Amino acid sequence: MTLSADDRVSEIVMTPSRSSSSAAWRWLRATPAGRIAGLTLLALLLAFLTVYPLSMLLYGSLHSTPPGVAGVFNLDGYRDIGSQQSLLALLNTIGISLAKTIPSVAIAVLLAWILARTDTPFRGTLEVLVTLPFFIPPILTAMAWGMLGNPQVGLLNQLYQWITGSTSSPINVYSYGGVVWHMMQYSVPFLFLLIVDAFRAMDPSLEEAARMCGATRLRTFLTVTLKLMLPALTGAAILSFIRGIENFESPLFFGSPVGIHVITTDIYDSINQRSPPQYQYATAISFVIMALMFLIILLQWGALRGRSFQTVTGKGYSPAVMKLGRWRWVTFAFCTLFFFVTVVLPVGQLLIGSFFKFFGFYEWDMLTLEHYQAVAGSREFWRGFGNTMFLGFVGATLTMGLGGIVAYISVRTKWRGRRLIDAMAWLPWMMPGIVLGVGFLWGFALLPHAIPIYGTIWALLLAYISLGTPLSVRVMSSAYAQLSYDLEECSRVHGASWLQTMRHIMIALVWPSFAVGWVLVFFGIVRELSASVLLYSVGSEVLSVVLLKLWANGNAEQVSVIGLIMMIMVIVFRWVQLRVIRKWVGAM
Amino acid sequence: MSNVVLEKVSRRFGDFAAVSDVDLRVREGEFVTLLGPSGCGKTTTLRMVAGLEQNTGGRISIGNEVVSDAASRVFVPSERRRLGMVFQSYAIWPHMTVFENVAYPLRVRRRPAAEIRDLVLKALRLVEMERFAERPAPALSGGQQQRVAIARALVFEPKVLLLDEPLSNLDAKLRLQMGDEFRAIQRRLGMTTLYVTHDQSEAMALSDRVVVMDQGRIQQIGAPEEIYRYPANRTVAGFFGTPNLLNANVEACARIDGGRVQLDVVGRGWRGRCEAAAEVPAGRAVTVMVRPEDISIAPADADDGGLRWSGRIAHTIFRGPTRSIFVETEEGRLNVDAPAFGGYAVGDNVTVAVPQSAAWAVVDQAEVN
Repeated sequence: MTLSADDRVSEIVMTPSRSSSSAAWRWLRATPAGRIAGLTLLALLLAFLTVYPLSMLLYGSLHSTPPGVAGVFNLDGYRDIGSQQSLLALLNTIGISLAKTIPSVAIAVLLAWILARTDTPFRGTLEVLVTLPFFIPPILTAMAWGMLGNPQVGLLNQLYQWITGSTSSPINVYSYGGVVWHMMQYSVPFLFLLIVDAFRAMDPSLEEAARMCGATRLRTFLTVTLKLMLPALTGAAILSFIRGIENFESPLFFGSPVGIHVITTDIYDSINQRSPPQYQYATAISFVIMALMFLIILLQWGALRGRSFQTVTGKGYSPAVMKLGRWRWVTFAFCTLFFFVTVVLPVGQLLIGSFFKFFGFYEWDMLTLEHYQAVAGSREFWRGFGNTMFLGFVGATLTMGLGGIVAYISVRTKWRGRRLIDAMAWLPWMMPGIVLGVGFLWGFALLPHAIPIYGTIWALLLAYISLGTPLSVRVMSSAYAQLSYDLEECSRVHGASWLQTMRHIMIALVWPSFAVGWVLVFFGIVRELSASVLLYSVGSEVLSVVLLKLWANGNAEQVSVIGLIMMIMVIVFRWVQLRVIRKWVGAM
Repeated sequence: MSNVVLEKVSRRFGDFAAVSDVDLRVREGEFVTLLGPSGCGKTTTLRMVAGLEQNTGGRISIGNEVVSDAASRVFVPSERRRLGMVFQSYAIWPHMTVFENVAYPLRVRRRPAAEIRDLVLKALRLVEMERFAERPAPALSGGQQQRVAIARALVFEPKVLLLDEPLSNLDAKLRLQMGDEFRAIQRRLGMTTLYVTHDQSEAMALSDRVVVMDQGRIQQIGAPEEIYRYPANRTVAGFFGTPNLLNANVEACARIDGGRVQLDVVGRGWRGRCEAAAEVPAGRAVTVMVRPEDISIAPADADDGGLRWSGRIAHTIFRGPTRSIFVETEEGRLNVDAPAFGGYAVGDNVTVAVPQSAAWAVVDQAEVN
């Protein structure tokens, strides 16, 4: 029932309103003009970032010709979805995502249990290593695995042949298995990050009570620990499933070359690979995938309703760590193996690939530095690097700023219209990058010529902000929600104005969350491929697009060099992020 | 220092009236406690004085200046009311040191640095925290945080001090100690203080006057002794301690000294004399409040004009300084505080008595209307 401080201050001076006026009119009269203007501006900005591309998708799916060309309205796009090929893509999408989610959950639970609840050696370091794959841009590992698991010249097959002396090559990443395998490298650390805190924060007395009632360790784990984790697990699994559907890189690299299509690659192909581009079909199927996402999100809400996370909210528990004895080296080896396969192998491939003259021919006399020279002298690389850095810094800052404002309004105020703003900021959550890319493609093309966004770097910036906003709002909302209203009110009572309170108290307190969120958004922008590949044009290529073009031209060696550079960037930023978190946790 | 006046102050949330028609005058330098069960509107009342909540009816003045008037739509925001406040959670800002926390009210008022330093150290000395000035705030215990919160509320010498259950998060021993210290500081500075608590012993120990609230309304205002001894109604009577509340009917009524009246009452199996605040017609139902510590176990034949019951000891509980004895009578079970080692045994037949001046009758509220 408490009102926020700013709500009250707005009512300092209120003129008596006419008794006959409507509620909306009274609200307008009682609200300062500055706030109305600010809210309207914010709502317009969000509408442009989220509602506009969505409505452009709808428009595009009903319109027979590409953006800007005269045409008629019809339902041809939706009719094409009924074709056998499209239905197969839909089935592939769901099947592949399911196939990767289920084993990923099992491995993630195992890892979370090992690292949170057992006495496995070097747990702290292992946790950082095991989660590292999540922060590596998927395009890099996709290319690395494309080299490692190549059926003709892949390093793994060469090793196998060298060891066994046979001529068969058992590993082929260009297959269903390859797509699923590559997705799993991301979904395992993703799921791990989502559930490990639930494992760590669980009240150990709940487990001890089961032990005291006579249950064995295994029985306790199955009937108490796992059951208590179920809400967190289902929530995480559904989220992982959604990301599987959104995934673009894995099917693009390992599926498309052998004719395995999912919806995201289907959208990409129908715009970029078919002549003439089938825009109407692309937008129509974009709508289908969004409907699918929306259904899953509804399912997620349904599944989580009424489940309480109370067991995992307490802080200050130090959960009992299980003594594994000699088995702790087995669990240690398992974690190390995971890190080796998901990080060391692909990075090693890039490293090796960058020093040899030709990919696949690993002889001593083939060693060279010429690829490094080529990359260092490549104008395209430096342009892409500059663009990615610019978009990363500016995009992450703007996205977090926007998220901070939206979250403040929706969490800390009772202003009218805050739900609308919150909902608009959430919309991109159900839009995969490629779908948002298509929406903006239409949206920018239809803008008046006086607003030249189409084909510029600003198009990418806007798309990135839109894609990052749901995440930034979530990060900032949870930061605000942790702060008691007293901290704000206390400042007001002791003489600080609203602005002073914002500056000295609120911003000062949420700053660490802002920094953590900023790095996450920055990672998201650096790795982004699916929207970028639709919205870039000559001059505004980002690194991931440069890589994709080089890869398509068969230049695996330079890809390795650029990949290594990106990898170093990722590791540096991840290290900074961990430092910030540690400092923050230490201070609280 | 200044007075606080609430006139017909109300706060409605939709159809729900959290506070209705509160009238209260706090004199300069007075320590007034708002007491009541949770949800009685005491915190809302305090927050309206602080300007953290806006009253939907009535008028609030601090130091003869109207700070909020629902009728003329005057509303002075919190930061311009010049108040000090201690929150239940203490609201110590975790990103600042102790010194920075206490200096905050001065810094936002842009006082010179040297003056800030002097005033902050003075305030910290007052709460015996000057050694901790450079500590980061999260590194403090609950009691220390509480002291810092008090220092911060006092540092700029506010007109009025507001406290919202400041002791409720401390353990029992520290609560007593902090309460006494706080009262001593308040007396020394002569600060007008409005204090909210649900703890009746805290209210009695600290206040000049206590305001008992229930369901958004003031039930009684008075000195702690007055409210304890002469509650205005059954709600107030039941709120302090664990009194025996007995149903009875009035037989006769007579005025005595001190503005009170003397009633002859009859209950189930007992009759005798008690006192009340106002005349009650014969035949009216009343509730007679008898506190356990006022009842004594008496010889069977003595009669001092008060009330007496005879019964059997049902069971006893040893409480250290006293022993609670439950006497089964025709009226029901009576709770008696007896000496801890008085040699009473379960099953003994006893007569218990209370003098007329310690038995207080209130008219049942349902009967008033």
